[in-house]
Amino acid sequence: MPKKDFSEKDFGRLIQLTLLAGVLVCVLLLVLGYAFSAAGAPVPGARLLKAGVLALLLTPAARVGMLIYGYLRGGESYFALASFIVLALLAVSVLV
Amino acid sequence: MPELSAVVMAGLLGFGVFIGLLGSALGVGGGIFMVPFLVMALDVPIHQAVAASLVAITATSCAVAAVNVERGLANVRLGITLEVTTALGSIAGALIASRLPAGAVRTLFALMLLPVSVMMFEKGRRGLSRPRAKAAAPADAAPTPFDSVFFDPALAEHTPYRVRNMVPASFVSLFAGSLSGMLGIGGGVVQVPLMNLLCGVPMKAAAATSNFIIGVSAAASALVYFRKGLVPAELTGVIVIGVLLGSFAGIYLLYRARAEKLQLVFSALTLLVAVKMLAG
Repeated sequence: MPKKDFSEKDFGRLIQLTLLAGVLVCVLLLVLGYAFSAAGAPVPGARLLKAGVLALLLTPAARVGMLIYGYLRGGESYFALASFIVLALLAVSVLV
Repeated sequence: MPELSAVVMAGLLGFGVFIGLLGSALGVGGGIFMVPFLVMALDVPIHQAVAASLVAITATSCAVAAVNVERGLANVRLGITLEVTTALGSIAGALIASRLPAGAVRTLFALMLLPVSVMMFEKGRRGLSRPRAKAAAPADAAPTPFDSVFFDPALAEHTPYRVRNMVPASFVSLFAGSLSGMLGIGGGVVQVPLMNLLCGVPMKAAAATSNFIIGVSAAASALVYFRKGLVPAELTGVIVIGVLLGSFAGIYLLYRARAEKLQLVFSALTLLVAVKMLAG
């Protein structure tokens, strides 16, 4: 069970904030990208759109990183290890 | 690639909302619908369509998991454990995809979905024909670290449950991950019945946990496409915005709907996917 100074609720909130931050950054970059494109600046617009997509694709990895942190802090080494393996597999899949 | 006129953009946005609704309420990514839509309706090349679909699945997963984890609906311990074999399968699937005949994989997948559809239908039908019963964890099952509890507004009570059969579930997850890598889908259509029928996870928690899992496998595959420059960012961005809008609306549906109704809708969805895959 997680240690008392880092409750299940805190952990859930940490994961929520990580995912929402990723989604928010993605949406901001996408909206800016379309705004630039509509304003007649297609090159920076396209770059911002790509950055938005990339921000979204990196969000699950950030979430897994937070799981490692949360489970280590909560003293749940089994789940921290499982999270670490998933993060490692994500890294491998990028390199494959 | 289609010219992104206002009409096409509105169509993509609307389709994205539909996929987001479907994904968040049923725990599937919607790739099985997204890819044919982009290829057949908009003439998008297949690899770009698969890439856009995988990005959309990632969007649904991130948006929905953000809410469901905080509410306790997604079982994070179960999710991260199944993610290990799902991610392994996803990489293996992506590596062997080019070596296997696609038709054989599709047929195998479709034949497996047919009995799943029947079982989900039966479970949902039996549940609807009975009066609403108070949910309870089975007394005979041994406690596991994956056991959890969530509040179900449709029943107006907390629903505790125990998770069983984790070893066979991990093997099936490996298969779900490999399908994801081979076919460019999230794998939720396997993960949801796996958790619901084999592990004994209630339907709503199964859908929420599936959404949590599929984000990792979809993002892993999508990053490969992104590195190869195959993600059509302009088109994908519109779909992502639509998917996010639909996902947040779908969370409300998942939260309020009766689990048995979701099982019946999921049964229809798996049947549709199976028939579509058998038809090629």
